[in-house]
Amino acid sequence: MLSQELINNVILAALSTGGDFAEVFVENTYANSIKMLDGKVEDGISGRDFGVGIRIFQNLRSVYVYTNNIEPNNLIRVAKEAASALQGNPTVHDLVLNRVTVENNHPIQLYPKDVSKVRKVELMSLAHNVVSNYDSTISQVEIGLADTEQHILIANSEGLFVEDQRVRTRLMIQAVASKGNEKQSGFYGPGRHAGFEIWDQLDVEHYAREAARTAVTMIHADHAPSGKMPVVIDNEFGGVIFHEACGHGLEATSVAKGTSVFTGKLGQKIASDLVSAVDDGTIPNAWGSLNIDDEGNPTQRNVLIENGILKSYMIDKLNGRRMNMAATGNARRQSYRYAPTSRMTNTFICNGTSTPEEIIANTEYGLYAKYMGGGSVNPATGEFNFAVREGYLIKNGKIDKPVRGATLIGKGFDVLLKIDMVGNNLARGQGMCGSISGSIPADVGQPMIRVSELTVGGREEA
Amino acid sequence: MNIRDFKERLFTEGTKAGFTDMEIFVSNSSNFRLQVFNKEVDNYSLSQIRGISFRGIYNGKMGYAYTEIADDESITFLIENAKANAEITGSTDDIPIYEGSPSYPEVIAYNEDLNNISVEEKMQFTFDLEAEALKLDPRVKTVNYCIYSDGEGEIYIANTKGLEQSFRSNMAYCYVSVVVQEGDSIKTGGRLAVGNNWSKFNAAALAKEAVEEGLSLLDAESIESGKYPIVLRYDVAADILGTFCVVFSAESVQKGLSLLEGKLEEKIAADIVTLLDDPLLENGIASQPFDAEGVASKTKAVISDGVLKTFLHNLKTAKKDGVESTGNAYKGIKSPIGISPTNFYIQAGDKSYQQLLEEMGEGLIIISVQGLHSGANPVSGDFSLGAYGYYVKDGRIQRPVDQITIAGNFFDLLKNVVAIGSDLEFDSSGVGSPSLLIKELAVAGK
Repeated sequence: MLSQELINNVILAALSTGGDFAEVFVENTYANSIKMLDGKVEDGISGRDFGVGIRIFQNLRSVYVYTNNIEPNNLIRVAKEAASALQGNPTVHDLVLNRVTVENNHPIQLYPKDVSKVRKVELMSLAHNVVSNYDSTISQVEIGLADTEQHILIANSEGLFVEDQRVRTRLMIQAVASKGNEKQSGFYGPGRHAGFEIWDQLDVEHYAREAARTAVTMIHADHAPSGKMPVVIDNEFGGVIFHEACGHGLEATSVAKGTSVFTGKLGQKIASDLVSAVDDGTIPNAWGSLNIDDEGNPTQRNVLIENGILKSYMIDKLNGRRMNMAATGNARRQSYRYAPTSRMTNTFICNGTSTPEEIIANTEYGLYAKYMGGGSVNPATGEFNFAVREGYLIKNGKIDKPVRGATLIGKGFDVLLKIDMVGNNLARGQGMCGSISGSIPADVGQPMIRVSELTVGGREEA
Repeated sequence: MNIRDFKERLFTEGTKAGFTDMEIFVSNSSNFRLQVFNKEVDNYSLSQIRGISFRGIYNGKMGYAYTEIADDESITFLIENAKANAEITGSTDDIPIYEGSPSYPEVIAYNEDLNNISVEEKMQFTFDLEAEALKLDPRVKTVNYCIYSDGEGEIYIANTKGLEQSFRSNMAYCYVSVVVQEGDSIKTGGRLAVGNNWSKFNAAALAKEAVEEGLSLLDAESIESGKYPIVLRYDVAADILGTFCVVFSAESVQKGLSLLEGKLEEKIAADIVTLLDDPLLENGIASQPFDAEGVASKTKAVISDGVLKTFLHNLKTAKKDGVESTGNAYKGIKSPIGISPTNFYIQAGDKSYQQLLEEMGEGLIIISVQGLHSGANPVSGDFSLGAYGYYVKDGRIQRPVDQITIAGNFFDLLKNVVAIGSDLEFDSSGVGSPSLLIKELAVAGK
């Protein structure tokens, strides 16, 4: 994308004022997205992002500059301008970049750019038809298809010079059911670090039926009760609560500055004995996987929690300096417009030994959250609230009637300790995770779990 | 490649590929951002970015594509992809590419003086801002945000129908937020300043306002639930207006998503309310001589003395309604043409803030609302928002109030404006309002 010689010169220019580390990130990304509303393509947009980000450290100080003017003179000028924010004499005078070849763990068979848009629309129409034919209460169907092909080059003053690519494909199915003035929605958004071949392997009709079924089930559901009760959260996207309420607190971004409740807790018990959790960026073709992270380190499988004991944080280079710990292959960024920081890849609670049937049968009364919706977390306090997209009451060890409008409220570290049953049906779901280095694809996941007590609803007056 | 050469080659290749009309919309911007924490530079970033958006009509349908790099590969990329996107588009709405307005207004939104401020001066200002805030009161525990940022941008639009226009603007902002503590009570106070006139950035004054606001909120408590007369401080009034401004978009109206459908020339607000969209405002944040379709900008009253006068249109919605575009087409580099207000504000009244409080007598001042994205529904107009501010009695502030929600309906709120302050201010997106005295809103507290 840029010559090795130019990058060499840019790094030296960046270090001309005493910086002790400099990094160049070059990106060339092709993106396509198509939106279909009620069976008609509303718009399709295709684009190409191209730019360079230069980062310089001097101890714990960091400067970031990005541009998409890649004229050699401009890049050198920009690197020097960034360097001018630091003061000192250069300590690095020459540099040998060693080209490293990345081992590709995420084979791509059918690049999205080699698939005609007409064929993409056919796939979307298939999903649309399944949803719209599901039930007469379905009033609106929105289908989105997005793919990206990101080529990156990372080089730094430690001699690293590496190139890689990430190809991602995602289908988003939204079903809306209406009755009178009421509307309820269902959603499924399967995606992979893979090409278009994935749609021959995944059951698109299943996802479409599930989105439609959720909307239709919820339009006929009663309102959820309020109060504290046991809550069973099903597998796959149910892992969003662990991601939001615990995962972000294990990122060095918050641990290093001491703003996380998990700061200083390595080796301590932070969860029930039944809980082991992992962040694994190496899973072949998974949505949040990468061969190398956005600082050029190979991704790895990091055990975060083992039988309730905190084992590891997720650490990037700059925060690793603050914490005096090694990076864990978790540095990520949305694009060259962001400096990288520690983020999750594919994060999930590991399988336990209970079957889902046992978990339900052992719950006399409670809420069963089959699909989770969105939510938010206050990072300073750990307090979260999440919407349950599809929920049911559990009565006498059996799933009872569906309930709508349930929200789950609690604190991340409380919930971890209150997990009292863990199922054996681990599965992962796909999401986009937003934080200071932008919006990035990430898998969440878990088997079915039971939390002995959570606040449901919370709308009632205190 | 030079952007004009790029354009010529793109249009030549596009014509060969079968496009009838084509347009490029180019945005060039450069930005500087500095964040200070604990007397150290916490974050320092610079950027220079160009985005090129292409759209063209192929077989009567519009196709879109964009790129950030003007090289040979991008020409092929834009044409092939825009063509493929046009082919799959099901929408056959006739979207025109515009030949240009007969004339364009002169709009000033670039202040050369801002270029003469050195990085050292900006750094000194930001350090001063933090230092001033820290020294004002021992109860100031930390300055959790202290940011200075500035940038400039140029928009260039050109098409095969002969339109070619460009426009340059610059802007700076700074934000300071403090955490204050007394006993168990922890509060924050913040101040934002926006503009391209450096002389108006006064570190001591901004720090003082932020600290005083934080301190004034210490030991806040909730209040009995009920209906209260409310003064919405100028920034809160602008937050609410900005959240609901989509109801004035003709696109929302035509899609059946605005309750203002069919209400043109009807009274929708109190007599004293005049709502303007003014792209010609000197050094306004959203000032521009033309919109994203190249239509000349003009100032218009959306609400005049309480009467709804117009919706905001682009060429497509205007054609559908049989009216002229109001010059409110909006486009990001990566998005198709939509509609957006420019400098969008409620005209200032003549009452001072103190006069508003006296007129209210007993009630609440709201100085911040939370949850605008989840707690406000532009389709129904309903909102229910976390809020804090002060309890007022006999026209005087009695005590701070927090842990309340205010609930109401935007369309009712417009009708229930009792008095309008003279303190018009704009937010960082160009939405503005003076402080407003509202007849009443439902408050949930104790």
